[in-house]
Amino acid sequence: MRYCKELFPGVFLILSLLLFPGQVQANGDEYIAIRKEGSGKIALVLSKPVASGAKESGWSERLDAETRSGLDFTGLFSLIPPPLNVAGPRGASSQAINFGALNSVGAEFYAGGAVVRKSGNVLLSMEVYDTLGGRPILRKTYTGKESDLRSISHAFCADLVELLTGRQSVFGSKLVFVSNRSGFKEIYMCDYDGHGMRQMTNSRSLALTPVLSPNGNYLAYTEYASGRPRLSIIDLAGGKRSSVARSGNSIDPGWRSNAEVATTLSFQGDQEIYLVRPDGTLARRVTNSRGIDLSPSFSPDGNKMAFVSSRTAVPQIFILDLQTGQTNRLTYNGNYNTQPSWSPQGDKIAYSSMEKNGEINIFTINTDGSSLRQLTSGTRQNESPSWSPGGDMIVFTSSRQGQKKLFVMNAAGGGQKRLLQMEGEQMQPSWSLKVK
Amino acid sequence: MKGSMFLMKGLCVPAMLVLGACGCKSDVVAPEPVQPAPAAAPALGDVFYDFDQASLRMDAAEQLNQNAAWMRDKSSKRVVIEGHCDERGTSEYNMALGERRAATAKEYLVNLGVEPERMTTVSYGEERPFAAGSNEEAWALNRRAHFVEE
Repeated sequence: MRYCKELFPGVFLILSLLLFPGQVQANGDEYIAIRKEGSGKIALVLSKPVASGAKESGWSERLDAETRSGLDFTGLFSLIPPPLNVAGPRGASSQAINFGALNSVGAEFYAGGAVVRKSGNVLLSMEVYDTLGGRPILRKTYTGKESDLRSISHAFCADLVELLTGRQSVFGSKLVFVSNRSGFKEIYMCDYDGHGMRQMTNSRSLALTPVLSPNGNYLAYTEYASGRPRLSIIDLAGGKRSSVARSGNSIDPGWRSNAEVATTLSFQGDQEIYLVRPDGTLARRVTNSRGIDLSPSFSPDGNKMAFVSSRTAVPQIFILDLQTGQTNRLTYNGNYNTQPSWSPQGDKIAYSSMEKNGEINIFTINTDGSSLRQLTSGTRQNESPSWSPGGDMIVFTSSRQGQKKLFVMNAAGGGQKRLLQMEGEQMQPSWSLKVK
Repeated sequence: MKGSMFLMKGLCVPAMLVLGACGCKSDVVAPEPVQPAPAAAPALGDVFYDFDQASLRMDAAEQLNQNAAWMRDKSSKRVVIEGHCDERGTSEYNMALGERRAATAKEYLVNLGVEPERMTTVSYGEERPFAAGSNEEAWALNRRAHFVEE
C-alpha cells in the first residue's frame, strides 16, 4: 500500500509541523495538549466516504465499517451519528460542511472523504476538521488494492489517533500469545483485534511465553520440543529457527533491542538472565544473584531492565541499570509480584501481584516506585500484562469467566473487555510495536 | 508394587466368595500358595514440597534415600527429574520454581554419591499437574519432583 500526501495550502502549512516523519502533516501541538490522559472521549462525527458507482459504494461501506470498528477499539472516541445536513451533495469539502450542525450535536471533530477507483485500485481521500474553528487538521489520500480495504482504513485510523493523542496507535500492531486450542500449548499471532489469526508453532509439546522483537522481525519463545524448555527464535521473514545450544532450562524471554533478547538460563547452575543474539549465541550474562532471576522487560532505550527475583525470599520486581550495574528493588507491596512489563513511554511498569486468597491482580507503578495503581480486582486471576504500542492500553489474561482468556483495558484499568472469540484457553499475550 | 499386591488380594477374595456362593463349581481350586515377599527392592518415587518452596521437607529424605539406592542398584540407568508446581501463582515463576525443586532433589542424590551425569532436570512448572482440582489436596500432590527412568 502506498500513501500519498497532499500539502496544506497557504498559511496553514506554516502552522503545521511534522509530527511523525513521513506520515502526517498537521498542526499537532494543540491537539496533543488537549488530549491529556484521563480526559473524556473524543466526540467525532465520521461520515461514510462519498462514492459513485456500485463498486465504489461497496468499498465505502466496508471502509466506513472498518474505520468505525478500529476507532471504537481504541476506546478514545465517542462516535456521533452524522447529522443529516452535515455535508452538501458534493461531499466533504470545507465549503460544503455544515459546522453549525456538527457543533449542535456536540462533535469536536468531523472526518469525511471520498473513495474512487483509479487504475483498478482504491483511492480514499480523507479530511478531518476541528469543528469549532472549522479548520482542516488532516488531509490525506490512501491507496491500495481492493483486498487492502482493512489496512487502508487502519492507515487513516492510525494517522487520526496519532494526530490527536501524540501516541503510537494500535493499528498495524500484532499480538502473540499461547493457546491450547489444538490440545497442545502453541504460539499464535494476530492483529491487535484478533484479525488474521495464525498458528506460529507446531511443537506438539509446549510452546510458551512468545514475544516479538521491536521491529517485528523475530519471534522468541520457550519450547519443549527437545524434552526441556529451550529459547527458540524464529526469523519471521526467512522462517529460520535458532535456539540456545546450552544445557539446562530456559524461561521467559524479553527483547532488549532488535539485536538482543534476554532470557533466564541455568546452564551455569543457578538461574540467571543472559543476553542472547537472534542466532542463539550468547552475548553476556546480566544478573549475578543466588536464586530465581526471571522475566526481563526493558526500558525503551534498552538501558534498564525490570525483572523478577527471589533474592528477598519471595518474588519481587527489581530494576537493573545495565550501565552502572546497580540493582534497585521496585515493589514493596505484596509478597508475590511477578511479570513486569515496561511501558513503551518508559514511565511505568505493569505487573501482577498474587494476594493471600489466590486472586491475582494487575498493578502499574512508576519506575521510581511512586504512583502504585491497582487496575483489576475481584475477578480471579488477572495476569501477564503487556502494553499497547502507545502505552494507553494493556492486554492481559483473565480467568474471570472460568477458562483463561485474553482481555484488554485502558492504562487506568477502565473499559475491560474480552478480546478474542477462540476455543480453548489463551494466555501470555505480548503486544508488539507497529510491525512494518 | 505393594499397592498393587494389596489391590489384587482385594479383588480376589470377593471374587472367590461370589464363585463359592453361586455353587456352580463344586471343586473350587485352592489358590497358589503365596510366595513369601522378597526384601522390598528400592523403588523410584516422588518427593513433595511446600508452597513456593524448593527446599526439601523432612519427609522427603526417606524417599530420596530409596531413589539413591535404586540408582546404585541399577548403575546403568539414567533418570530425568521433573520439577512440578501447583496451579497457584504465575506460570513463569512456577517454571523457575519447578526447576529449583528438581535441582534440590538432584543435589541430595549427588550428596549420597549418585553420579550427577546420570540425572537430568527439567521443569514443567504448573503445565503438567498430576491431580485435578483447585484445593490443597490436589495442590500438595502437584508440588513435586517426579523421577522418571530414562
